[in-house]
Amino acid sequence: MKSRSSEIRRARPVLGTIVEIGAVGLNAGVAIDAAFCEIDAIHRLMSFHEEGSDVSRLNRSVPGEVVRVDPRTYEVLVYAQELSRLSAGAFDITVGGKLVEQGFLPQPHGAAPVDSEASFEDIKLLANDSVSLTRRLWIDLGGIAKGYAADRAALALKMCGVTSGIVNAGGDLYVFGAPQPIHLRYPNNPSLVLPLGMIANSAVASSSGCFANAGEPGAAAEPLIDPRRNASMKWQRGITVIAPRCVIADALTKVVRLAPRRAPKILSRFSARAVIVDRLGARPFNGQHNEMRRAQARSAVSHRSRAVVRAYRVVALGAK
Amino acid sequence: MKTGQWTWLPIICAPVPAIAVPAYAATYLTVEQAQQSIFPGQKLSQSFVTLTSEQAREIERRSDAKVRHKEVQLWKASGGGYFIVDEVVGKHEFITYAVGLNADGTVKQIEIMTYRESYGYEVRNADWRAQFVGKNVSAPLKLSQDIKNISGATLSCRHITDGVKRILATYEIALK
Repeated sequence: MKSRSSEIRRARPVLGTIVEIGAVGLNAGVAIDAAFCEIDAIHRLMSFHEEGSDVSRLNRSVPGEVVRVDPRTYEVLVYAQELSRLSAGAFDITVGGKLVEQGFLPQPHGAAPVDSEASFEDIKLLANDSVSLTRRLWIDLGGIAKGYAADRAALALKMCGVTSGIVNAGGDLYVFGAPQPIHLRYPNNPSLVLPLGMIANSAVASSSGCFANAGEPGAAAEPLIDPRRNASMKWQRGITVIAPRCVIADALTKVVRLAPRRAPKILSRFSARAVIVDRLGARPFNGQHNEMRRAQARSAVSHRSRAVVRAYRVVALGAK
Repeated sequence: MKTGQWTWLPIICAPVPAIAVPAYAATYLTVEQAQQSIFPGQKLSQSFVTLTSEQAREIERRSDAKVRHKEVQLWKASGGGYFIVDEVVGKHEFITYAVGLNADGTVKQIEIMTYRESYGYEVRNADWRAQFVGKNVSAPLKLSQDIKNISGATLSCRHITDGVKRILATYEIALK
């Protein structure tokens, strides 16, 4: 293994975040340029804001209209639809309308209002990278495109001959070649980090609300929509997913949070694992018996059960 | 596809204690390296532009971003483009970055030169920021050598976006 000092690292503002790419090798500088080029392309194709993106073209399309998209956009839509099916709609990329309504996304230019009944089932994936909608809806790939961009950037590095590298798209990352130490940012206190371990040929993605409302103190909601309740999530802990691909890791962080009961099966299907990060530290997520909700309710229950125990003792003493 | 491999630290048995990183810093490029990255093979010559109070006000009006320094760190590229080094200060982050403009004033490329994050009072403290001047990839800071890959909630690049808007307004008003 080459020493770390021969590694080149660059960072640029893309995808609404700061993307950092590190690479080892003779061709590293050129490879990093190629990787950023690929990320720019993903941004242009999948941005909700850019009028010419595939996503905007779909959001402006009339139901029944056939829209030809880039093979990369199509691939992301295939992943998204599969995750929607597996999670019974907990993961749904048609939440764009809700995100606009709640002020997380701006009104898209020239798109007609959404049908409130629309869901992922209204996106039809046809042959030849063609897509058709059966209802008016606004797609937002914010929950999956960043991970996909990290995968594609890593592929670009590999194709330029880089043997070892990392792409970190604002916290969603992919490492290949030599193992690298990865740390998790603490969800409620960004000045604390936890060591996750040495990672190689894997992706790590995290989801939590800690930076979501950086500008608005006191605002608890964040831009993760539960499509079944049509409400934004409030969350105190973070979820980190380790998976073979970053597109999967990125999307699965949302699946674990929105569908914790189905999550273990979905995680294992994609050879992924999840870690919960909260004020106690980091521990593996096993999804057993709604482990997450139980932990949330634990403090409330303990008060009640103590009262019950006390009442029981009183009764027992009285009976003696 | 081959399944990924990872080594677990003691996460399996017990919660892992958190490590405090009151300051995190990464250095990517020196001025010269950023110039070569954005305008490879071109000759860059520094030119000195100081904004008048009137220009600064007009830039603030057009870009809706505060002008903190009236001296523009500007280089002209032999191909007709412009290279500008700028900095933005957020609540917890201080970022120096370079913007390359094409001859027609459109953005060619943006490169982050140094990034630092602090959860103390330091970010707005000039002495603290000064310690990073001249640091580059060959002389990395000791500060966070072991903690370089952080997964976590996505950081916004809003401050840089605002900074670039201000630079584009600066081009329109003072450089064009």
